[in-house]
Order: sequence, then C-alpha cells, then structure tokens
Amino acid sequence: MTDWTIEGLAAAIRAGKISPVEATRDCLARIDRLDGGLRAFITVDHAGALETARRLEAEQGRGAWRGPLHGVPLAFKDLCFIRGLPTSCGTRTAEYFLAEGDCTVVARLAAAGAVTLGKLNMSELAMGPFGDNAHHGHARNPWRTGHCPGGSSSGSAVAVAAGLALGAVGSDTGGSIRLPAAACGIVGLKPTYGRVSRAGAMPLSWSNDHVGPMARTVRDCALLLQVMAGPDALDATASPAPVPDYVAALDGRVAGLRVGVVENYFFQGIDAEMEAGVRRAADVIAQLGARVSELQVPDPRTMSDVTNIVSRSEASTIHARLLRERPHELQPVVRARLELGMHIPAYDYLQALRLRARLTRGFIAQVFAEVDVLVAPVIPEPAPPLAHATLGPVHELVARQGRFSRLTRPFNGLGLPALSVPCGFSSTGLPLAFQIVGRPFDEATVLRLGDAYQHATDWHLQRQPLS
Amino acid sequence: MDESGPQQAEEAALLGVIERMAGDLALAEEPARFIAALEAGRPSGGDDPE
Repeated sequence: MTDWTIEGLAAAIRAGKISPVEATRDCLARIDRLDGGLRAFITVDHAGALETARRLEAEQGRGAWRGPLHGVPLAFKDLCFIRGLPTSCGTRTAEYFLAEGDCTVVARLAAAGAVTLGKLNMSELAMGPFGDNAHHGHARNPWRTGHCPGGSSSGSAVAVAAGLALGAVGSDTGGSIRLPAAACGIVGLKPTYGRVSRAGAMPLSWSNDHVGPMARTVRDCALLLQVMAGPDALDATASPAPVPDYVAALDGRVAGLRVGVVENYFFQGIDAEMEAGVRRAADVIAQLGARVSELQVPDPRTMSDVTNIVSRSEASTIHARLLRERPHELQPVVRARLELGMHIPAYDYLQALRLRARLTRGFIAQVFAEVDVLVAPVIPEPAPPLAHATLGPVHELVARQGRFSRLTRPFNGLGLPALSVPCGFSSTGLPLAFQIVGRPFDEATVLRLGDAYQHATDWHLQRQPLS
Repeated sequence: MDESGPQQAEEAALLGVIERMAGDLALAEEPARFIAALEAGRPSGGDDPE
C-alpha cells in the first residue's frame, strides 16, 4: 500500500485486485503502527472508515461506482467540519469550531467514493508555518523525526508522506499547503482564490484562505482537484468559472511553454542546497523543451506585507472571542500574532485590500505578458529542527515564522495557483522543493508542467525508512 | 520578558507599506477589484470544460 498512488489504487479497486476494506484496513494498521511517533492525526475514525469501506464494497458488488475515488482512503485537516467527528482547529478545545453542515470539499470527495480515515494535526488555528502543536503533540517530519514537518497543514503532509493516507486536504493562507508539502517531500496545490469552496472549513482569513489537495504525485493532486473544484452556493467567493478536465491536461506537452525563474527576492538568503535543487529543476524543465528564462517580478515584499496586514486583521476578528475569553489556552506565539491584529486600524486594513487589487492587476499584466508560469523556491531551507519552532522568545519565534513563509505568502495575496513539487534531498536527507505559479484559474498548465517534471525525475518515488 | 517593544516595532514595520504605497490609490480602487483582476487574468480559450 505504501507505494500506491490514488490513481493506481482506484484502478486496482475497480479491477478487483484489492477491495476498499482491504485498502482501508491497511491504512488504519499503518496509522496504528506509526502515528504514535509521527502525530499526523488528531482523530482516527476506525469505525467510520471501515463502515464506509464496507458500504462501498457492497456497492461495488452490485456494480455501483460512486466515482473516481471509489474506496480510496483520504484524511482531512482538522479544520474541515465533518458531521460526527470533533473539530479542534489545532486548539486545546476539543470542539472549538462548529459548522452547520459538512465541509463542501469533504462532501464532494466522499460523494466521489473516498473513505475518510480521520482528522489531521495542524498548527493551532492554522497559524504557524512549522507545524508544531503543543496541544496535540508536534507532528514529525517522516524524513527526520526531530525536524519540523512544515505547517500549518502539518498532519496532512506527514500522513501522505508516510503512507498513512493516499491523499489529504489542507488549507493555505500564507503557505500552509505548500510549506509542509515541501518540507515532507510531497505535492501540494494552492489553487486560485475562489477555485475551491471553503464552506465548512474554519476560516483564518477570508481574503487569503485557500483549500487544496495534497498527495504524492501531481497527477493525484489533479484527480483530487477535479472533484473539489467548482462553484458552491455555500461560499460566495467560489468562482463560477468552468472547471476544465485537469487530468486530461496532463499530456506532457510543455515544449515552448514560457517558464520564468524568479531572480529577485526568492533566492536571496536561501540555503545553498535548496537553491541548487531549484535551479536543477529548472534545468530539467528546460530539457523538456520549455523556454526557461530568468525574470524579475514586482517586489514581492510589498504584497507580502499587504497580505500580512489583511490576514492578521481578519484572524483577530475571527478569533476575537477565543482571544478575549480563553487567552491562556493559546500558545504564546499564536496569542501574540492575534493580539497584533487587534491593533491594526480599519484604515490600514482597508487600504491593504485596495492595494492588493492594484498590485494583483499589475502583477498579472506585467508577469504573464512575458511568461506562462513562474518557478521559485518554496521554503528557504530544508525543514529545520523542531527546536527552531519551539524554543526562544516569542518575538524571535514570530520572526522565524515570517522568514520561513516569506516565499509563499505573496501568492496568497495575489490569489494565483501555486504548486509545490519535490525536487531532491539535502545532504542531511531532507526534501528540497520548488513551486510552479500560474495565471489565475490556469491550474491545468501548472499541473501539466509539474506532472511532466515528475515523469522526468523520481524524487516523488523516494521513501523514508519508516518500518 | 516584556514582548510589547518587539510587537510595536513589528506593527510599525508592517503598516509602513500602507504609508509608502497607499497615498496614490485611485478613488475608484476598491477591494472587489481583486476578484475582477483574477477573472480578467484567466487564460483565454483553453479553460473551457471538455
């Protein structure tokens, strides 16, 4: 099971080579064996998963297929509301977040045949790029368990990387899908703002939140996105834009594609092995026939600051009651970040939203006149030791968080699709990664390039030495 | 340790971008134009359903 992809498992189930119950039992057994050390899950739903798998198996016996994910075990970040299961949002409170209905993406994936294994660990309130969580136990990087898994969708990345689940859902407000995907050596997609409904997923920042898929291969992310994407009456920000066939778009044709390697900001001060890994990935892309060039983009620091102002303001508004009534329950760094948001005047918040509109318009017009996609690093260095995320004065920890997420946050403000793809390993055995960023609603091109890269390389096939 | 000093410095640094950049925003600029920018930036032609 640890070598299955979603596509491969779905095909094997359809061919009768493995049953949904067998696949689910295998994942649950692996969770039981390994998750005590990895801490990927907050809630494992043994009974519910097996009940769903048995029902799917019975339907299969009658020739009834729910969809492309029939019998595929998945897991969800613990900010997705799922009826019958607690939702902690990574907080100390067992059921902090309550929604009126199931999370839209979970419902869509279940309708396509997915089995829900449980709810995944995350940074408290989805605030934190390292994936540490003092309440539920720090999720561990499967490649080196003394190192951070990245966050905030830490459990999502760990579960997929360690083969506990075939795929997962994460959310990304400043990099929270791409950072853990990069740190753990899997693929993570932050779709275009509005491409995937956020209904039933705990908000952190309405203006910057994105829900997206995480899996071992780009192809599997395309499969998941196909099911997740589209308009939703429950989320006014979900775009009515038509959903293309993302899997059909993975035709390997990247010859002539204009790829810009971003030279300003993204390589400044980053780890030498990370830089070398990303530049080697660009070389591979060039060998595939793409027209790779170096490119300067409008200063990402401006958009990063604007995004930060908006996120801090909205997060503090959303969690004002928790901050007011139970501040002692919050980790000091999370509390400090929320408190800062309380001090941002409405004037600055609204000017930031207006600036964002202007900056986005300018970025799209300037950059995509020259190239079709961008390539850049995702994380400035391989996953740091857990102590880097947990030890030190609060202001220093906040500063470290800002530095670790500085390469992802600009694309949240810009709302552009961004895909993290593994591209090697450091000398210490930790994953390297790059991100591919595309035009708004052009996930198809981003995925096509990522898939072509994975066909030419085998980084995504490497497995960590877990028993 | 008192964290208010570093926090005030962070706040000031963060809000500096508004002081530097927002002064010449057009009167017509509004938050909703962000969504309009994304919709206008969609690739033409190749994004229709199969």
